[in-house]
Amino acid sequence: MRFKKSISSLKLPHYKSTAGMAAVRMPIPKEVLLPLSPMNAHSATASEPVVQVGDHVTVGQMIGREKDRGSSHIHASVSGTVKAIEPYAMGGAKGTAIRIESDGRMEKCPELQIPHPTNLDEFLQCVRDSGVVGLGGAAYPVWAKLSAAQKAHISTVLINGAECEPFITADHRVMLEQGELIQKGVELLKEFLGSEEFILGIEENKPDAIQQLTERFKDDPAVKIMPLSSVYPQGAKQVLLYNATGKVVEKGQRLASLGVIIINVSSLVKMAEYFVTGMPMVERIITVDGSAVKEPKNLIVPIGCTVRDVVEACGGLKEEPGKILFGGAMMGKPQESMDAAILKATNAVIVMNRKDAQKTAPSSCIHCGRCAAVCPLGLIPTAFYRAMELEDEDQRAALLQKEQVKVCMQCGCCSYVCPAHLPLAETNTAAMGFLRGWEKNHKEGGK
Amino acid sequence: MEQLVMSSGPHIHSGAQDRRIMLDVILALLPASVAGVLIFGIKALWVLLTCVLSAVIAEFLFNLIARKKQSVGDLSAVVTGLLLGLNLSVNVPLWQCALGSVFAIVLVKCAFGGIGRNFANPAIAGRVFLLLAFSGTVAGGAAPAPLFGAAADAVSSATPLELLANGAEGVPSLGDLFLGVYGGAIGETCSLALLLGFAYLLLRKVISWQTPVIFTAVVFLCYLISDGAQIALCEVLTGGLLLGAVFMATDYASTPINARGRLLFALGCGLITFVIRKFFGYPEGVSFSILLMNLLTPYLEELTRIKPLGGV
Repeated sequence: MRFKKSISSLKLPHYKSTAGMAAVRMPIPKEVLLPLSPMNAHSATASEPVVQVGDHVTVGQMIGREKDRGSSHIHASVSGTVKAIEPYAMGGAKGTAIRIESDGRMEKCPELQIPHPTNLDEFLQCVRDSGVVGLGGAAYPVWAKLSAAQKAHISTVLINGAECEPFITADHRVMLEQGELIQKGVELLKEFLGSEEFILGIEENKPDAIQQLTERFKDDPAVKIMPLSSVYPQGAKQVLLYNATGKVVEKGQRLASLGVIIINVSSLVKMAEYFVTGMPMVERIITVDGSAVKEPKNLIVPIGCTVRDVVEACGGLKEEPGKILFGGAMMGKPQESMDAAILKATNAVIVMNRKDAQKTAPSSCIHCGRCAAVCPLGLIPTAFYRAMELEDEDQRAALLQKEQVKVCMQCGCCSYVCPAHLPLAETNTAAMGFLRGWEKNHKEGGK
Repeated sequence: MEQLVMSSGPHIHSGAQDRRIMLDVILALLPASVAGVLIFGIKALWVLLTCVLSAVIAEFLFNLIARKKQSVGDLSAVVTGLLLGLNLSVNVPLWQCALGSVFAIVLVKCAFGGIGRNFANPAIAGRVFLLLAFSGTVAGGAAPAPLFGAAADAVSSATPLELLANGAEGVPSLGDLFLGVYGGAIGETCSLALLLGFAYLLLRKVISWQTPVIFTAVVFLCYLISDGAQIALCEVLTGGLLLGAVFMATDYASTPINARGRLLFALGCGLITFVIRKFFGYPEGVSFSILLMNLLTPYLEELTRIKPLGGV
């Protein structure tokens, strides 16, 4: 089953020059920096350190214990000595990080065991122990996502292998190199969640992955490998859900209430890996690319190594860096320095040269409608932009409510096509923030 | 190491540029401009130049006086001036041409906030303004005076639409209508040149095909039913229908922002054009229909609002 009409239509240059490069293990870094929170704006909760400065730690040993659904267990990604537990800031989020100096031995934690859960609760506990989070960028703990199965039957698992962001090929490599673990992950979810349908959505620009996985699952009627058109943002929740199943998460609804969960293919693989090796999430595949990088590569890196480390493993920089991104060219988060630490959810490090980092100065909206035409959700981004120009806050809020700015997922399509080079996506973020604040004040004032 | 850029995503851009879009429109208007000069003589060139220059100067001075950021570089004033010129007859005195441009730029565009904020198409408004202020001379009356070769003496100075309205005597052949060798405004007669411009705009993805095709098709079908194929074809090829449908009913600012709204816009333009031409015996159907639909644009946008995915 495939829906002819795709709700997203934006064709981007792929820049996926690393697609054919098998992931290679980078040299062991001298030290790693492991933030105790996911370092994104959504969750403020941090894990609690369970080691002290001076402690000797081994690979896979828990060093930070999660507090709630907003955080995850943090495990040492190298063996060595805890040098510091220090404040750490990234992209506006503040937290604490544990610095470990590597002894270069990558000694495994002796207490690790391969888990053998027998029911859903035990399974979820194991996933919780693994420290695996959503690796597509959201960093939401996978166990918390799967726990929806405790309340409602999850009939469909939508595995996200779209990888629609330019540059990134990490998921592509995972699908090519770790098909066995995808199979293992599917088996686990079948057994413990009781899901009947597995849809693995892959963009058509990865024909080798589609072919290999179709072959792998040819005897399993529960698994459908679904080729998706290579349009951005094919991998976004609403877009993927609609294009793969025809369903829509309506306002106020949760995905799980439709009997569906969406899990990134790399998250599924990381989860499955824990049940095979007993090793929690301490490393991942990332794509290192961008105009300033000498030899773009896919690397297997320990969580917590720095941009500097991964760039060095790629032959260093050939030009002065202009911008460093964690993630893709559309939604990637800019980093302040080469010392930024790779997080669990970092799927790519892109270092652009000065020229690529430059943005054209904005002019005026010409009402061409391209932003509206390209918005996968059917919003009118320029209306938000004009609303934000209004001086009267009540008028501004009313217009933003009417145009439903809160639906926006900041995919960036509008900014990408805008011939006036207006920062539309950025304005949408600001507009959402403004509206939240205004609604809060308004509510309090009214009562 | 210098400071890294910290701007938020997206970090790449399609490369689209408003100035480039305007340049594309100008390029798409070149065939019609050249055809106009070839058909109506060198006087046509002076009309076009006067309109363009006065439009640019008017915008420049407005920005200067109103202390606004200079915007003539975006080339939209050139487009407005050129479009207005192409909508005028060579017989319009140059001072009237200039006045029309100033009206279009200052009162219709700049006064409402400049590019992207004009409620109506400035060139259309300029033409209608001249039509009402100095009735008669705007579109009709100019016989072809070819730049090269002798004037075809059989061609009347009345526009085909006027001829059609008076009983279809002496209407030029369809071939002449297609090539534009008949009386009318500078840029509206040569259908061939206008279609070339249309093809270029489609190729460059500046406009989509729907508005021009629907607008024209509605007029054609209405006439086909009421008067038959011959008249219907003649109506489509004359009276500035193609010029209006391709270049003015597709103006970004004064038409709905969404595809469904633009569909209704085109339908409305076609119907109103037909009604004005057919029942009022008035050849100015295209300008008035676009102007009227321009005014309805905000309502069309409301009417065609869609429920966003995950919204209400």
